[in-house]
Amino acid sequence: MTPLPSPSEEQDRLLEEASHIVKTQSLQMKRCLDSDKLMDALKHASTMLSELRTSLLSPKNYYELYMAVTDELRQLELYLVDEFQRGRKVPDLYELVQYAGNIVPRLYLLITVALVYIKTNSSLKRDLLKDLVEMCRGVQHPLRGLFLRNYLLQCTRNVLPDTPEDEGDQAEGTVRDSVDFILMNFAEMNKLWVRMQHQGHSRDKERREREREELRILVGTNLVRLSELESVTRDKYKKLVLPGILEQVVSCRDAIAQEYLMECIIQVFPDEFHLATLTAFLKSCAELQPGVNVKNILIALIDRLSLYAQKNKEFNTLFETFSEQVASIVQSRIAMPAEDIVALQVSLINLALKCYPDKVDYIDKILQTTVETFQKLNIERVEYNTPVSRELTRLLKIFIDQYNNVLTVIQLTYFAPLMELFDFYGRKSVSAYLISNALTNETLIPTSESVDSILTIVSSLVQDQEDQPAEEEDPEDFAEEQGLLGRFVHQFKSDIPDQQYLILSTSRKHFQLGGKKRIKHTLPPLVFQAYQLATQFSALREEDEMWSKKCSKIFRFCHQIILSLIKAELAELPLRLFLQGAMTIGSIDFENHETISYEFISQALSLYEEEISESKCQLAAITLLVGTFEKMSCFGEENAEPIRTQSALAASKLFKKPDQCSGVCTCSHLFWSGKNNQGEEIRDGKRVLECLKKGVRIASQCMDMSVQVQLFIELLNHYIYYFEKKNEHITVAMLNQLIGKIRDELANLESNDETEQISKHFTNTLFHLRNRLEGPPVEGISYEGLTL
Amino acid sequence: MATKKKVLLKVIILGDTGVGKTSLMNQYVNRKFSNQYKATIGADFLTKEVMVDDKIVTMQIWDTAGQERFQSLGVAFYRGADCCVLVFDVSAHSSFKSLDSWRDEFLIQASPRDPENFPFVVLGNKVDLEGDRVVSSKKAQQWCQSKNNMPYFETSAKEGQNVEQAFQTIARNALKQESEVELYNEFPGEIKLTGEGSRNNGGDNCAC
Repeated sequence: MTPLPSPSEEQDRLLEEASHIVKTQSLQMKRCLDSDKLMDALKHASTMLSELRTSLLSPKNYYELYMAVTDELRQLELYLVDEFQRGRKVPDLYELVQYAGNIVPRLYLLITVALVYIKTNSSLKRDLLKDLVEMCRGVQHPLRGLFLRNYLLQCTRNVLPDTPEDEGDQAEGTVRDSVDFILMNFAEMNKLWVRMQHQGHSRDKERREREREELRILVGTNLVRLSELESVTRDKYKKLVLPGILEQVVSCRDAIAQEYLMECIIQVFPDEFHLATLTAFLKSCAELQPGVNVKNILIALIDRLSLYAQKNKEFNTLFETFSEQVASIVQSRIAMPAEDIVALQVSLINLALKCYPDKVDYIDKILQTTVETFQKLNIERVEYNTPVSRELTRLLKIFIDQYNNVLTVIQLTYFAPLMELFDFYGRKSVSAYLISNALTNETLIPTSESVDSILTIVSSLVQDQEDQPAEEEDPEDFAEEQGLLGRFVHQFKSDIPDQQYLILSTSRKHFQLGGKKRIKHTLPPLVFQAYQLATQFSALREEDEMWSKKCSKIFRFCHQIILSLIKAELAELPLRLFLQGAMTIGSIDFENHETISYEFISQALSLYEEEISESKCQLAAITLLVGTFEKMSCFGEENAEPIRTQSALAASKLFKKPDQCSGVCTCSHLFWSGKNNQGEEIRDGKRVLECLKKGVRIASQCMDMSVQVQLFIELLNHYIYYFEKKNEHITVAMLNQLIGKIRDELANLESNDETEQISKHFTNTLFHLRNRLEGPPVEGISYEGLTL
Repeated sequence: MATKKKVLLKVIILGDTGVGKTSLMNQYVNRKFSNQYKATIGADFLTKEVMVDDKIVTMQIWDTAGQERFQSLGVAFYRGADCCVLVFDVSAHSSFKSLDSWRDEFLIQASPRDPENFPFVVLGNKVDLEGDRVVSSKKAQQWCQSKNNMPYFETSAKEGQNVEQAFQTIARNALKQESEVELYNEFPGEIKLTGEGSRNNGGDNCAC
């Protein structure tokens, strides 16, 4: 048994068969024409045309067949025009072709012949056109009727009368006759097209609708024809053409037809015409069937006209007209989904931004409408990543991008209420977008009020939210988002120091609510901003007599912030902030600065003692502490001495021996280049030597010989440093002793990469000494007796 | 037989939306230009009689929609074309880049007998917008040369510049193509053995 052919194979076969007949019949037709046998030619033409009587082909295949047939008909037309022009007029041809047996071939022939008549005698034009458009009613089969009328439309394209009504010749007709002719053809085609929807079995609905979509351009071609008539002025379009089209569109009550034809109107007529008829067009939109996606129609129109209005600025009422009409359409269409309503507002925003970039109040009006829409729909929360949420996000992003200025955005009264509509994730996403925009554009936020509004708007990043989900967020995403906020703090900048202080204390109020996991990102930049501000006040001491009090207020402010970080179980971060603060305070000589600086240092020290337990961190902290203190020169001896001693003690109590050794060596510098409150180095050579000796003692206790040698070499470098700084307690003998010791032990080390590194360090150190020994003598330093 | 025959040339204009296909055709056929933009939907033709080397031919110029969604019935009208005109806008780079796909699409859909030598003509339109030009003449020419030396014209539908010359070339190349195809198609009439019975080609038995 042979399998049944598939539907598409069957279609191919049918088309091939029909095409074959068209080919042979047309060939015979042409042969007859060549030998002037017109009647025979017409007979073959009629047989060829009979192929268009089929009901079996799909629209696309029928179109292909139609193309093949009409291509051939053009040959007949050319022949006849030629004959007529030579005066060989065939009498009664128009009547003659009406004898064709079937109506489809008959009407195709009739149209072809009528066209020849019109081309050779234009006085028949008006009547013939009327006659043809009426006679085509004879074919009521949708597919056949649509193509027949398309042929009529195609043939008459060049001959439609296009003279103004008061100028034309009666018999040739005027533009009025063309408009009537096309509108009638349009109405008839639309009816055929709509009727397709209601024929056949309901299970074929999907296929039928697909076929209708394919056929739509045939109906739309009528509108193209209307738009091609030059005598259709804007006024005529408004009074005659558009009302005629809209009447048909609205009354056909078919969603597919309405949606397509409305879009078609927008596409084929020029902008000037749309602007003149905006209200009428939009009113009709409100009358369309519930199934019509009015949003798409409106967006197409708004987008097209905003482009136009952008180039031609004189249309001041465009925005008002659109927003009123859109509002009334939205109101009239109860079933319109929220995302469609928002999408319409997006288009309106585009229009407003393109045509009236300075009118912020237009944007606010759109936002207000949007907020009210949601109230009316009783929607309080919009879930993230739903269509509504996406449209709403688009709405907000459009003007964020357009203004590129957060300050303009927060001027919009309805921005914040709109933000409130989003759920947690939606709010966070828009907030992050807003802040990124400020960072990219380096927008400075110059007042405490604006800081307050922005941080309120982006509160989903600043503090925990009521609707926040219980589960933890991805730590990397969270850190990235908070990092954004941290960078943003540096954009809070006023030129007026007092305003800057207000800004910082406002920000603190917001960030303080962020909880443990947020404040470590948001508060440190605030502290650094405050340190900078204190320096600024110090520079203004001539103009502001309160400067000293203000500085101490700022540091108390910082002190509190840092304490709150300690409460959040952080240690290293506050330690660093305290040290940075101590140094800043030390450099500004306001009242009490020594006491406050001492407080900062001692806080750092107690953090070290109480909170930092890991040995690596401890050594790092000691190094930082010593480095900071060594630079400072604000302390009198009674404050400085305890800190130095305390630091050295802390270093010697480090857990691991090598750390102890390094720590003690580092501390030695406190007794040398550490400063008194006159800014002079104290150069206590004896205490330095004590530190170094202690270092040597500790190093000797190291069990790992390789580590021990390393430490000795480091110690040697310290000894050399102080020797060259002319510390009289350091002698050549000490250097010799240390060098000898290193030499001995280095020889015992197993040879490997590490040993090689150590030897290299040692060789370099000796090389340095040799250079000194052989170089020009330096006053006060004698290398005499040094054995290398 | 061939002497008596009226010559009808079929020319298809293709290119992205907004490059000026309709304007070029209107400028050529009606010597008119309008700045207003009206989209074309589907495909339509205008005819014009032209003299090509002392011979009068009728040129049927098919203007097409640049937007695919306006071509819902497919492109059956490509069939039997004698020349294809590819249009781009010298001030829109993307329209130049699309030429490749327009050409390929045409060759696939129209399936001409000898695709290698099918005549194309390329028009770089809107040269009146010289200040906005982004596709240089040289670049366009290079592309045309690489595609079997397609003739290239820089036109302005607005000012009529080069339009007449371009269509002369189009007509001449189309005519060359047409006569080759005709030659191929000359075959003697078919001798029928069976009678010409009426075909049942429809599901319904309506008389139309």
